[in-house]
Amino acid sequence: MKSLASQSAAMKERWPEFISFRGPAPGSTTWLGGLDGLGRRFLVSIQYGLPMPGDSSLFRCMPVVRVHSPRLVPNFRLKKDGPLPHVYFKADDLPLSPLCLFDPAVAPWTGDELIAETTVYWAIHWLVCYEGWEATGEWFGGGRHPSSAGQANV
Amino acid sequence: MNTRWKPPAPLSTPGEALLALVAIKIELSRTQHRLAVERYESIRKHIERADSPLAALVVLFYPQGSMAIGATIRAKRREDGYDIDIVVELGLPPHMPPHQVLNLLYRAVKGDPGSRYHDCTERQSRCVTVHYADGMHLDLTPSVLLEADDPRRSHIFHSKPEASRIDDRHLVINSYAFVERFNAMTPVDHEFGRAYALQAQKMDPMLALMAADSEDVPAHSSEVGGKSATVVALQLLKRNRNITYAPRTGMRMPPSAMLAALALEITLPGRSVLDALDELSYHVLTRLLEAHRLRRLIDVRNPTCWEDRFTDRWPGTLSAQERYIGDLIAFRKQLARYRAPGLSLKEQGDLLTEMFGEHPGREAVRTYADEIAAAGHSGRARVTSTGGLILGTPASVAAAPAVPKHSFFGSTWKKP
Repeated sequence: MKSLASQSAAMKERWPEFISFRGPAPGSTTWLGGLDGLGRRFLVSIQYGLPMPGDSSLFRCMPVVRVHSPRLVPNFRLKKDGPLPHVYFKADDLPLSPLCLFDPAVAPWTGDELIAETTVYWAIHWLVCYEGWEATGEWFGGGRHPSSAGQANV
Repeated sequence: MNTRWKPPAPLSTPGEALLALVAIKIELSRTQHRLAVERYESIRKHIERADSPLAALVVLFYPQGSMAIGATIRAKRREDGYDIDIVVELGLPPHMPPHQVLNLLYRAVKGDPGSRYHDCTERQSRCVTVHYADGMHLDLTPSVLLEADDPRRSHIFHSKPEASRIDDRHLVINSYAFVERFNAMTPVDHEFGRAYALQAQKMDPMLALMAADSEDVPAHSSEVGGKSATVVALQLLKRNRNITYAPRTGMRMPPSAMLAALALEITLPGRSVLDALDELSYHVLTRLLEAHRLRRLIDVRNPTCWEDRFTDRWPGTLSAQERYIGDLIAFRKQLARYRAPGLSLKEQGDLLTEMFGEHPGREAVRTYADEIAAAGHSGRARVTSTGGLILGTPASVAAAPAVPKHSFFGSTWKKP
């Protein structure tokens, strides 16, 4: 499993515009930076912490990516898959719902991958697909929405 | 320092790619193009048949107008169809009375009762139109060559059946030379043309191996390696004109030939579609305003034949001219908004719909969204150093990394 220090070093080298700070809890880091959609630049945060006994926060299980600006726009007219595509729904603030960037049943997060070389790329792909979804109401990025996915603690 | 200007990579930005997709959506499909070529050949044989009043009198049969310069666009509504303009050069005296020439062609096309074109042929004031059930119509304009030394400088004939013969006129044209000049001055921009042809092929993949079966009608854009940005810009401006004039029942539109001639005045290789459209709309607007300020009507002529006046039937009045000036000002405002940085794909799609109509605007966005999402998975799209995804055509981008394999997931939405 990669250490937080090595994750931070890789982020600094590959994505130098991202700033990092400690938190939201001990043994965790948050990176904040800009990524491009198709026309707009989005401000995103990535939270990540190494597993800690007794703490089931999502960021201890996988990097948690949220979009801060421009805020995601839920579309409640869409019947299929809910008002936002491929997110872990955060009921009290939908636009800040973490993005679902990989299928844990296909390839779970092991901590051996570098966030800079996986999560950030997937987030860029998600943003591009989100712009398509926002414009057309259709998600062209594939993936699945399991009918009985466990509700994560976000 | 001498910095060599490099044209923008073709279709690499969403704004450029979307405009090109709109152009592909509004141009004739390969299927329609093939049908037009077949009908062109059939009608030629029909007019030259042994018992035709024009048997042995047809000297040359050639496409003119949009079809000849690769700028034909579909009509806004399916039932409106689209025009294919053909010149039928006849071996007749050039000063033969106009109504006689037009009636002769009309009889030759219409044929006997029960024959193929008898019930779908219409005599117009300058041409004979064949209407097809699917909406396509062929306009056949009879012409007679004026001078053998000045190839294709010809008379065409104006005669309204219901008007007095005193109003009949002979008009000098040379659409053949105009087409030759237009095509020579708007060659396919190699890089842009290839990208455009590739997109056009993707839109109609089932027909990828089909070749045009006539040497006289130019091949479809996806077969000749695409087209120049000037021609694409011309198609888009015509589409905007058609959309704008669709609700103005009975009102004559600014002629396509005028727009083509004005496009020719400013054509340059290596431009992006967006730049070409911006410059074309600006140039047309400027030329209209120059005339309007002097309280004159715009006068645009065939640069290869000065007597051939493309604006002989439009604008006709200053108010008609002013109307299109207003349209162009509005269009350029929309285009400026479209060019502004920071627009979402949805906002770009909304503007495309405003400018070019609901169907091509929405379909272009849908196609692009689908393509770039799939390219992210397949590795055809590359991640830029600033954190964007770009379709990997330019060499500078091809070396950038692709998105690592992944599959999106999601949680179940439960209404609060």
